[in-house]
Amino acid sequence: MSVGEKLIIAKLNLILHLRFEIKYSYLFRFFKTKNPMRNYLQQLKSLMLVMALVFGASLVANAQSRTITGTVLDASLGDPVPGATVLVKGTTRGVATDLDGKFTLEIQSGDRVLVVSFVGYLTKEVEIGNQSTFTINLEEDIQSLEEAVVIGYGSQDKKEITSAVVGVKPEDFNRGNVANPTQLLQGKVAGLSITRAGGNPNGGFDIRLRGLSTFGANSSPLIVLDGVIGASLDNVDPNDIQSIDVLKDGSAAAIYGARGSSGVILITTTKKGTREPSTTVSINSFATLDQATNLIPILSPEEFVARGGQDFGSRTDWRQELIDDALSYTTNASVSGSFNSTTYMASVNYRDNNGIVNGVGNERLNTRINLSQSAINNRLRMNVNLSFTNVDSESINDAAFRYATIYNPTAPIFENTEDANQRFGGYFQRDLFDFYNPVALANQQKFVNEIKSALTSYRAEFDILPNLTASAQYSQDRRNELIGGFWSIQDFQVGLGARGSAERITNDRQQKIFESTLRYETEVMDGLNMTLLGGVAFQSTKNQGFGARVRQYLFDLGWNNLGAGAIRLGNNTNLYSYANEDQLNSAFGRANFNYRNLFFLSASVRAETYSGFGENNQTGVFPAFSVGSDFTQIFDMGVFSQFKPRVSYGVTGNLPPSPTLALGVFGNGNRIDLDGDPLTTDDIYVGIVQNSNPNRFLKWETKKEFNVGVDYAMFDGKVNGSVDYYVRNISDLLFNVPVSGGPNIFDPGRFNTVGSTWVNLADLRAAGFEFAIGVARIGKGTLKWSPNFNFTIYDKTTIESLSAGGLGFDELRFATPGSPGQNNNPIIYNRVGQTLGDFYGPRLLGISEAGEYILSTTNPDEFERLGNGLPQGEFGFANGFEYGQWSLNVFLRGAWGHDLYNSYRGFYENGDAPSNTWNSVITEKTPTSPLITSTPTFNSSYVEDASFIRLDNMELGYNFKTNSPNLSSFRVYFAAQNLFTITNYSGIDPEVRVRDLENNDPFTTSLSPGIERRNTYFQTRSFTLGLSLNFK
Amino acid sequence: MLKSISKTFLLIPVVFLLGSCWELEQEVLDGITPEDVANSNNPALIDVLKASAYSRIVGSWGGHNSIWSIYEVSSDEMAIPQKGADWEDGGLWLRMHRHTWQPSDEAFNNSWAYCYTAIGEINNLIVSYRDVEALTAELRVLRALIYSWLIDSFGNVPIVTEDDLEGNPTNNSRQEVFDFIERSVLENVDLLPKSDTKTTLNYYSAHAILAKLYLNAEVYTGTARWADAKAAADVVISGPYSLSANFFSNFATRNGGSTENILTLPYDENNAQGFNLVQMTLHYLSQNTYNLQEQPWNGYASLEEFYNSFDDNDVRKNSFIVGPQFAADGTRLNDISAEANDPDGPPLTFTPEINMLAPNAFRQAGARVGKFEFASGAASSLNNDYPLFRLADMYLTKAEAAFRLGQTSEALTALNMVRTRAGMPAFTTVTLDTIFEERGREMFAEASRRTDQIRFGKWNQPWWEKGQSQPFRALFPIPLQQINANPNLTQNPGY
Repeated sequence: MSVGEKLIIAKLNLILHLRFEIKYSYLFRFFKTKNPMRNYLQQLKSLMLVMALVFGASLVANAQSRTITGTVLDASLGDPVPGATVLVKGTTRGVATDLDGKFTLEIQSGDRVLVVSFVGYLTKEVEIGNQSTFTINLEEDIQSLEEAVVIGYGSQDKKEITSAVVGVKPEDFNRGNVANPTQLLQGKVAGLSITRAGGNPNGGFDIRLRGLSTFGANSSPLIVLDGVIGASLDNVDPNDIQSIDVLKDGSAAAIYGARGSSGVILITTTKKGTREPSTTVSINSFATLDQATNLIPILSPEEFVARGGQDFGSRTDWRQELIDDALSYTTNASVSGSFNSTTYMASVNYRDNNGIVNGVGNERLNTRINLSQSAINNRLRMNVNLSFTNVDSESINDAAFRYATIYNPTAPIFENTEDANQRFGGYFQRDLFDFYNPVALANQQKFVNEIKSALTSYRAEFDILPNLTASAQYSQDRRNELIGGFWSIQDFQVGLGARGSAERITNDRQQKIFESTLRYETEVMDGLNMTLLGGVAFQSTKNQGFGARVRQYLFDLGWNNLGAGAIRLGNNTNLYSYANEDQLNSAFGRANFNYRNLFFLSASVRAETYSGFGENNQTGVFPAFSVGSDFTQIFDMGVFSQFKPRVSYGVTGNLPPSPTLALGVFGNGNRIDLDGDPLTTDDIYVGIVQNSNPNRFLKWETKKEFNVGVDYAMFDGKVNGSVDYYVRNISDLLFNVPVSGGPNIFDPGRFNTVGSTWVNLADLRAAGFEFAIGVARIGKGTLKWSPNFNFTIYDKTTIESLSAGGLGFDELRFATPGSPGQNNNPIIYNRVGQTLGDFYGPRLLGISEAGEYILSTTNPDEFERLGNGLPQGEFGFANGFEYGQWSLNVFLRGAWGHDLYNSYRGFYENGDAPSNTWNSVITEKTPTSPLITSTPTFNSSYVEDASFIRLDNMELGYNFKTNSPNLSSFRVYFAAQNLFTITNYSGIDPEVRVRDLENNDPFTTSLSPGIERRNTYFQTRSFTLGLSLNFK
Repeated sequence: MLKSISKTFLLIPVVFLLGSCWELEQEVLDGITPEDVANSNNPALIDVLKASAYSRIVGSWGGHNSIWSIYEVSSDEMAIPQKGADWEDGGLWLRMHRHTWQPSDEAFNNSWAYCYTAIGEINNLIVSYRDVEALTAELRVLRALIYSWLIDSFGNVPIVTEDDLEGNPTNNSRQEVFDFIERSVLENVDLLPKSDTKTTLNYYSAHAILAKLYLNAEVYTGTARWADAKAAADVVISGPYSLSANFFSNFATRNGGSTENILTLPYDENNAQGFNLVQMTLHYLSQNTYNLQEQPWNGYASLEEFYNSFDDNDVRKNSFIVGPQFAADGTRLNDISAEANDPDGPPLTFTPEINMLAPNAFRQAGARVGKFEFASGAASSLNNDYPLFRLADMYLTKAEAAFRLGQTSEALTALNMVRTRAGMPAFTTVTLDTIFEERGREMFAEASRRTDQIRFGKWNQPWWEKGQSQPFRALFPIPLQQINANPNLTQNPGY
C-alpha cells in the first residue's frame, strides 16, 4: 500500500467513525470511553462543538435570513469532507456537513465570514459576500498529523520533545519496489545513512546513525519493533509500517542503555485506532522491471587481442550472458477494522524479487495480525501482535560479477572437446590463475537461504488510576535460517578438486523479553505537568545451530543428500554445532516535565546487568538529561509558530559481540590419536584449545553524546524543521587486541594462549551538523508542491586513542586490494590523531614515457594520506507535487566528500603483459597514452572522489474518482528507481561504503570504508507499475 | 476483581525488581571452561592436553607466511619471484629475499605469536599440573624447543615461565635465553623416556635440541661449545635411529615409520592441517599432474645457484622439480598464459633459471621444491610429517663440531655417512665450506639454511638479486605489533 492510500484510509476511518457517532451514540460514548490519545480527544471536542452548533442553529432559525449552500472538499484529494463545521464568524450559528460534504445554512444580513473547520485540517475563513453557493477547500494540517512521536516506552507530543528525535510517516517514505523497511528511510533523516552498493535483491543495507559509534557488530541502530527490542527486521513488511521514529542523540537512546550507542530506530506497525465498527480492505500490487545499468566499460574482443590478449577465436559478451532483465512482483493485502471493543489488522504481503542475474532472487511471504481488545471501560487494554515471515532466497557466487567483467572476451562459453565435456560439463575452462568461466561459475555453484521468522508479542495495560498505568509485555522473536551450498562435480573453481561438494547449515536465534512498566502522570503544581515512567526488563537470547559439509560425489545431488558425499573430513568438509545464551536484566526510569508548554525537561536512567560482561564489571548505568523551551510561548516571534531550542546529554553503551568472551572458553583443537595408531579408535579425542584469552574486566562500550538543537515551525506550521549539532565521545571500545606472550593481565594467574585478547580500549570523537526543513503544500490552485530537504555535515570520526593500559595500537592497517599480487599491502591506515578509515599509499606523480608509474615512494612507512571513504556530508531532497488527481514524488539523494578505491581500475586497466590474461577496463580515468605498463600497484590514482547526486526514486500516481459505494479509492502509479546519477566516479556505484565487502569480521570491516570490491553486484535501474485499491 | 488486577499489575514490576538477580552467571553451552578442565577426572585428559600443546607447534609451521617462510625466503635456497601482479603482495617477500624487511612485516608477527601462544598454553598446563612430574618435565623441554627457534630468529626475547605471572615481560639477553634453554633441557632430560617416539619429545630428541643449541652457541653467546655439540649429537646418534636407505622415504606422504626422523610435526590433511608446501611451490597447472584438490599458487622456487650446487649424480637433486611437466595421464601441460618472451613457450617447463626476481618473473621459471612427496589427490594441507630433527642432521652436526675441534677424521666419517647415502663418493678431505655445502644439499627446505649461513659467516654476502646486507640483519626484528602490545619490549639493534 502506498503512502497516499494510507492517508485515504485514515480519513475514511475518520469519516465512517464520525457518521456512526453522530447517528447513534455520540454523547453516550464520550462519557463512556476515555482514550488517552490526544488526537482522539480533539476529535471528540470538535464533535461536541458540532452538536452544540446543531442545537444552536435550530434555536435561531427564525431570524431574518437567506439560505446558502456549499461543499467542503479536501484540497489535495478533492474528496468531500463530511462532518466539517461551518460556522458564521462571531456567532454560534453553524452546521456540520453531510456525508457528501454538503451543507445548507441560513445566514442573516450582518453575517460576513464563514469559519470552516475540521479535525486534521487547517481552519479556513471564507468571505460570504453575495455568494449563495460555496466550494470550500480545506488543507490538511500537517503539523497536527505529526503530533505524536514515538519514543522509547511510549509516545510524546512533538512539541514536548527535547532530544533529537525524528518521526517519518508513510507519506514521506521512499517509493518504488522497497522490500526492506530501512530502505523506506534512505535519505529521509539527516544523520541517518542507509547504503547498499549495487542492486543485489538479497543484499542488506548498511545503516549508520551519525557515523560509526562502535568498531563492532552492532554498528547499525538498534531496531525496536512495536516495543520489541532487538527484533529482526525480517518480521516486518514495509507495507505494514505506520511510522518509523529515529532516536538520534544519546539522550533519547539512553533509555535503551547498553544497546543504544548506535542509535535506535522504532518501527510501529499499523494498528487501527479504537474507532467504531468499520472494515477496510486494502490491496496493493505492483510489478517491477530491473535492468543492469552503469556497467564499467571494458575492451572489445578486438581491442583485447590487439593489446596482446590471447585469442580463443570466439566473441563473447560475458556480462550479457550473465544478466537479463528481471521482473518482480509484489502484492500486499490487508483487512482492518473494529467491532465492539476489538480492533484488528491482518495483512499478508507477498514479494517475489528477482535479480538481474539468473539464480539470484528471493520470495517472501509475510503475515501479520495485530489484535487489540479493551475491557473494563477501556481501563484494561490487551494487545497481541503476531507476525510470520518466510524468505526463500537463492544466490550465486558473487565472483561471477568480477569474472564476467574481466574474463577473456574471445573465449566461448562452451567448447566441444572431450576434456571440457568430461571435466567441466562442456564449459570452456583453462588452467590459469584466477580465471573462471563466469557462466559456469554462476551455474555450477548454488546457494540458498531459507529464513523462517516469527515474532509474537503480548501486551496488557491497565489504568490503576486514571493517571497511573501499569503494563506488561512479553515477546518472543524466533528466527531460523537454513542454508544450502552446492558445488558441482564439474565446477572448476571448487568442485573439481573436491569432486563435488555440498553443505547444510542452520542458524537459530531466539530472543525472549519480558518488560513491565508503571507510568504516572500528574500536575505537580499549577501548570507543571509531570510524567514518570519506571520499569524492569528481562531478556535472554539464545543462538544455536549446526552445519555439515561433505565432498566427493558420484552424482550432483547437492545438499539434498549429504550422505552421498564420500569424504566427510578435511578440505571442503565440515561438521559442527554451536550454542550460546545470554541474559540481560534491566531497570529503568524516566521523568518528563512540561511547564505550560513553555519549558520541557526530561531525565532518564537505565541500569543493565549483562551475563556476558566480566565478573568485575557486570552492571552498567546509562543516564540522560535534556531540556528545551519554546520561545514562541514567551516572545512574539513573528512568523515563527514554534522556536524551541533544546540541549541534551546522554550516555549509551554497546554489548560485547559474544557472551563468553570474559571467560576463557576452550574450543576444539586437532583430532588427537593418543597412540598414533589409526586402527585403534578408542583413544582418539579432539584436543582442547582456548578460543580467546579471558578478560574478567570486560565491559560495555560507552558513548557520551551532547546535542544542541532547535525545532522550529513558521507560517502556522507550513514550514517546519530542525537544526542539530552533536558531539559524541566514544570510549572503552571492544576490540580484539594483540597481546604479548606472557601472563594474562585480565585473568590473573593464567597466561595468554591466543595472540590477542578482547579488551575495552580506544577513544573516538565525532561531531556533526544536521539540518532539516519541510514545506507543506505551497502552490497555486490545485498544483501543490511539498518540498522536504535535509542535509548533514559530518565532522568525521577522529581516532583519539587506540589504546588503554599499555595495550593497543598506534595504527591499524586494513584492507589489502587482494589477489593477484596485492595481498600484503593494506591500503587503509587507522592512525591515532587522524580520521577513521584513511587511505594511505604512494602518490602517483606521473607516468614515464615507457608507461611506468612514477610513485612518490614504495616504502609503506612513507605512504601519504590519499583520501577517506566516509562522506563529508549527505543530503536528501524530497519533492511532492499534487495536481488534481495526480501526484508526483521526486526524491534526490546524494553524498559528498567521500572517496572510493576503484578496484577494477586498481587491477585491470594496465597494459603490462601479465595483466593481459584478463580483459581490461577502460574508463574515462584510465591513462591511455601511454598505457601503464607497470604491474598494477595501489596508488593515489585509484582513489577517486565519489561525490554524487542520484535521482533515487520518483513516482507518478493517479487517483481515480470512485462513486462506488464499496470502493473508496483506486490508484495507479508508476515508479522509477535509480534513474540517473551525477558523479565523477568511474567505478560501478559511487554509493558510500561504510564497510569492506570482503571483510566478514564484524570488528574490522567498518574500519576499512571506501573500497569498491570487484565482486560488487551490478547496479540496477527499476521501473514499477502498480495499483492500489481500498474497499470499505 | 478490579482491585486484584490492579494489585497484580503493581506487583509484577515490584516483584521482579526485588526478586531478580543482579548478578548473572554466563553459561557456556558449547565449550569447556577452565573449571570444567580442573574438575575433570577423565583419565585421557592429561594426555589430550599434552597433545593439544604439541598441536600448537604443528599449527602453522609449514604454511605460507609462517616461521618456515621467513627462514626459507630470507636464505639463499628459496625465493618467491613476482610474476606481474601475482605475488607482489606489498613487496614483503621481495624484501625478505633482499634482506630489507621491516619490523611491521606480518610474517614476523605470525612467527612470534606462533611461538608465544604455545608457550602460554604450556605455562598454563604446568601451573595446572605442577605435581605431575613426567608431564611438566616434557612440557619444559617442549618450551625449550620453542625457545630454540626464538633465540635463533629474534634473539633477545623475553623468557616467560610458569612463575612469571606479573606484568608485561621484558627482553632477556640472548645469553640468558641460551642458558634458559640449556637449563630447561638438562634439568628435565632424564625424566623423558628413552624411546623412539617421533611426535612427542624423548631423551634423544631433547639432546637434539641441545646439539643444535651448542652448535650455534658462538653465534648466540659469543662462546663456542663445539665439544658439547658433538657430545649431544653423539647421544642422539646412539639412540634408536638409523639413516634410511632411501633418502626420500623420510619425506614421503606416509613417513611416520622413517627410522631417521627423530622429532616430527605429524601433519594430517584432515586432523592436523598446516603444511601447505604443495600449494606454495607448484604451478597452477600442476593441479593436473597430481590431481590436486586445489589449484596451487605458483610461489616458492629455488635459486638457480643453489640448485646448481647439487651434483647431477646426487640423489638429493630430486629434491627439485624441474623440466617438462605432464598431466597425470601423461599429456604435456600447456600454459596458454606463458609470457610471450618466455623462451620455453607455452609447454609447461620448470627451468632452474629465473629471469628476474621482480616484477616480471616468468610463470614457469624456477626449480620447485619437490623434497616432500606430493601424493596424487593431495589436499592443500599435506599428510607428510615434517621432520624437525633428523639423524642426518645430527651426523652433520657432529661432523661440523668435530671438524671445528680439529678432529678431522671423525668429521669425515660422520660427513660421509650422509654423503654416501645420497649416492655420492665419499669426501677424502674436508673444509668448512665442504660441510656448509653438504648441509645445504642435505637440509634443503628444512629451515636450516638461514642458521647455517649465519654460522658460516655467509649471511650478509650478496647472492642472486640480493646485495650485501648489514650485519644486524642476522636477527629478525621484534615484530612491531608486539612492541605495540608490550611497551616493555625493546627492538633489536639496527631496526
